[in-house]
Amino acid sequence: MSEPLVRVRGLSKRFGHHTVLDGIDLDVARGSVAVVLGPSGSGKSTLLRTVNHLEKPDAGFVEVNGEIIGYRRDGTRLRELSDRAITRQRSRIGMVFQQFNLFPHKTALENVLEGQLAAGVRRGPAEARGRELLDRVGLADKERSYPRQMSGGQQQRVAIARALAVEPELMLFDEPTSALDPEMVGEVLGVMKDLARTGMTMIVVTHEIGFAREVADQVVFLDEGRLVEAGTPDAVLTEPTHERARAFLSAVL
Amino acid sequence: MSVDEAVRRPLLARDGDEELLGARLVARRKPGQWISAVLVLLVVAGIVKSLVTNPRYHWDVVGAFFLRPSILDGLVLTLWLTAAVLVSSYLLGIVLAVMRLSANPVLSSVSAVYIWFFRSVPPLLQLLFWFQMASLYPQISLGIPFLKPFVTIETAHLFSGLLAAFVGLTFDMAAFAAEIIRGGLVSVEAGQTEAAKALGLSKARIFWRIVLPQAMPAIIPASGNLLIGLLKGTSIVSVIAVQDLLYSVQLIYAQNYLVIPLLLVATIWYLILVTILSTIQFFVERHYARGKGARSGFWQLWRGQLPLVPRSRPRRDLEVLR
Repeated sequence: MSEPLVRVRGLSKRFGHHTVLDGIDLDVARGSVAVVLGPSGSGKSTLLRTVNHLEKPDAGFVEVNGEIIGYRRDGTRLRELSDRAITRQRSRIGMVFQQFNLFPHKTALENVLEGQLAAGVRRGPAEARGRELLDRVGLADKERSYPRQMSGGQQQRVAIARALAVEPELMLFDEPTSALDPEMVGEVLGVMKDLARTGMTMIVVTHEIGFAREVADQVVFLDEGRLVEAGTPDAVLTEPTHERARAFLSAVL
Repeated sequence: MSVDEAVRRPLLARDGDEELLGARLVARRKPGQWISAVLVLLVVAGIVKSLVTNPRYHWDVVGAFFLRPSILDGLVLTLWLTAAVLVSSYLLGIVLAVMRLSANPVLSSVSAVYIWFFRSVPPLLQLLFWFQMASLYPQISLGIPFLKPFVTIETAHLFSGLLAAFVGLTFDMAAFAAEIIRGGLVSVEAGQTEAAKALGLSKARIFWRIVLPQAMPAIIPASGNLLIGLLKGTSIVSVIAVQDLLYSVQLIYAQNYLVIPLLLVATIWYLILVTILSTIQFFVERHYARGKGARSGFWQLWRGQLPLVPRSRPRRDLEVLR
C-alpha cells in the first residue's frame, strides 16, 4: 500500500465526562473508500468532524497529506493554527452533512460557487465549473432552484457538488442518506459510487451496508468510541470477530 | 375473500345518492358579522362627520401651513436625524450583538451591561443628560487612562442640542437593535456555520454572506417597528429646542395660538412618513424572503392591509377568530 492520504493516530475526544473517541488509529489510502459503521453514539460523526477540525481532539492527531490538521508542531507541543490556516486546510477537504446544510438563501448554482469564490476563483470560471458539477450530479436543470424547491435527494446531490467545487483531495460523508426518503437514497449513493470510481479518497459514515459491501476498500466498526473492527468489507461484514459488531450487523442485515 | 375481490367489492348504494351528488353546497349564514360591521361603520361615520363639520379643526389653516418653509425645514431635520441615528445605531448594534454572542466573557459581559443600562434609562432622560454633559465633564480627553491625553476638547462647544439628540438616540436605539440582531443571529442553524467552515470560508465571510443574510428575515420586521418608533421618537428632541417637525409646529402655534390645526399638520406629515417607511419595509422583507417559496406581490400586501377586499388566500390557522 502506498503512503496513506489520511493518518489518524491516538485520537481521543471527551464531551464532559463522556468519552466519545478513545484512541482511534486509522489509515485511509489515497484513492480508497473507507466506510465507518457503528451504532448511534459510537463516535462515528465525531471522528469525521475531527478530520476537518470542526471538533478539536483532546489527544492524538489527524494528518492529511502529511499535514497535521488544526495544529503545527512546536517541539513537544502541538499548537493550534490560526483561523486562516485552518480555513485553508478545510478548503482541501470536502464535507457532506446528514441534513445537507445547503444555504437556503442561495440557488443551487450559488451554493456551488460559494467555496470557490472564497478561495479566490473568479466568477466566470467558478460558474463554468459549478455548472459542470451540477451536470455531473444530474441537476443541470436545477441551477436556479432554491434548496426549498428541491427534494431531499436533489439537495444532497447539490451538497456533494458544492463540496467537490473546491477540488478537495478528501471527501467526508456524514450519514449522507439518513435524512432521505427511501426512494431517494439510490440517487445519492449512485453519485457517491461514481465519485469513488474517479479515484476520490472518501471517508463515509453510513448505515448502508450494501454500499459498504460494493464500494468500500476498507470497513471499520466503532463501538463506544473505540475502533473494534477493521478490514476488507468481506472480512468485517461476513465474519466480524467482535461481539458488538456481530450483534449490530445481524440487526441491520 | 381475496384481496382482489375486496378491492372490486360492490359499494353500498342508497336512494337519493344522485341528488346529493348534484346538490349545491351553501355556506352557513353569519348574521353576527353583518350586525357588528354595521355598528362599527356607524362609529366610523360619526368620527368622519365630526372631522368634516367641526369648524374648530380649521382645515383651511392646516392647508395654509402644510408646506410652510419652516415646517419643511423641521421635516428635513427629522428625516436626517432619523437616518443618521438608524445607521449609527445599527452599526453599533451589530458590534454589540456579536460581542454579546462572543465566547470572550469580557466582551459578552460589557455588551450585556450596555444593553441593560441603555434599555433601562428613558431616552428623554438620556437626552437631557447629554445636553448637560458640559457640567459633568467640562473637558473630554482622548487617550489611554492615567497617561497624558492626545486630544482635549471643551465639552460646552461639543454638545449642541442636535448632537446630544444624535448621541442619546443612537445609544438608546443601539441597545434595542443589538437585541433584535442577536435574536436573528441565533435563529440561524448551527449547521449553516459548519457547512460554511467545511467549505473553507473565513469567519468574516461566514458572518456577512451566510449568517447575516439568513438572520435578516428575523431582523427586519422588528427593525421596521423600531425604525417607526425612532422616527416618531425623534419628536422628543423638541424639549431641548432642536427644531424638528414637532418643534417647528410648536414655534408657530406659540405665536398664533392655532394649536389644533398646527398639531394636525405635524400629524399628517408623520402619517405620510410612516406610510412611506412601511412600504420600504415591505420591499426589503420581500428581498430577503429569497428561497422561501411563497412571494406575495405589492398589491397583495395592500389588499392585506384593506380587508374589505378579500385576500386571495384566507389564513386557515386564524379561522377561529372569525
